[in-house]
Amino acid sequence: MAREHYSLMKESWSMLLTYVTALVLVFVLTIHLLLESPLTGLPLDATLSFGFATGNLIYFKVVFGLLLYAAVIHGISGLRVIALEWLHPRKRTWLLNLLAVALTGFFLALGTYTLVAVA
Amino acid sequence: MTKNPRFRSGLLASLVPFGFNVERWSYVLHRASGVILIGYLAAHLFETFQLSMGQGAWANTMATLHSLGPLEMVGLWIVAGSALYHGANGIRLVLNEMFGMLMGRPIMPVYPYSPTSLGRNQKLAVWATTAVVLVLWLWAGLYLLAGLGVV
Repeated sequence: MAREHYSLMKESWSMLLTYVTALVLVFVLTIHLLLESPLTGLPLDATLSFGFATGNLIYFKVVFGLLLYAAVIHGISGLRVIALEWLHPRKRTWLLNLLAVALTGFFLALGTYTLVAVA
Repeated sequence: MTKNPRFRSGLLASLVPFGFNVERWSYVLHRASGVILIGYLAAHLFETFQLSMGQGAWANTMATLHSLGPLEMVGLWIVAGSALYHGANGIRLVLNEMFGMLMGRPIMPVYPYSPTSLGRNQKLAVWATTAVVLVLWLWAGLYLLAGLGVV
């Protein structure tokens, strides 16, 4: 019973993390999209140029850092929830958790390296 | 005893919302758009990683993407729709599940069951979400068509 309760508490924390990252994403993703939108006064091709893209990463590194961490944590956490709902693993939940942590670590490392190298 | 096909379980059955109410439709669309977005996120991280490899690598990546022609814009339009739907519906879900808003008051379950979670406010929220998403998705489509030089 205690073990089951502990497991439910972990799921509860996981969902809280999903909701909090979702709220962060609403703000930082809006900023990211506005930086690429017609509101910049630039055509689509210009917003994809090397100078514009690196400039955004340099000047808005805090926004892009938040976006990276929130998107990866929210995305992998959501994927884990879908896998739990569809696969109903009873014994191998730890394997799914391990996979989720490994994927999160990989994508965060890739994104953080990009941010540090460019900015 | 024959099984009611409405209550089949499994991956494919869970993706078919026909015959169910709008909450089931939003459930399926939320998950489908989420999977599209996580696929895009992975690709976008690899794409952005090319910025750290220099101007040449970035130019090659852009050239590869542009070689897809209109498919690139169609892909971006699908991603834009997924992001809009997932975001707008996600806000509704956070209001529901985190703050308990838009939900009906809990009542004793009496047959025939009618979910209090799908009251007037909730239905209004679902349809308002859909309307806002459709308008913004259309606008995103026009912007992408402008990128192609079509409009």
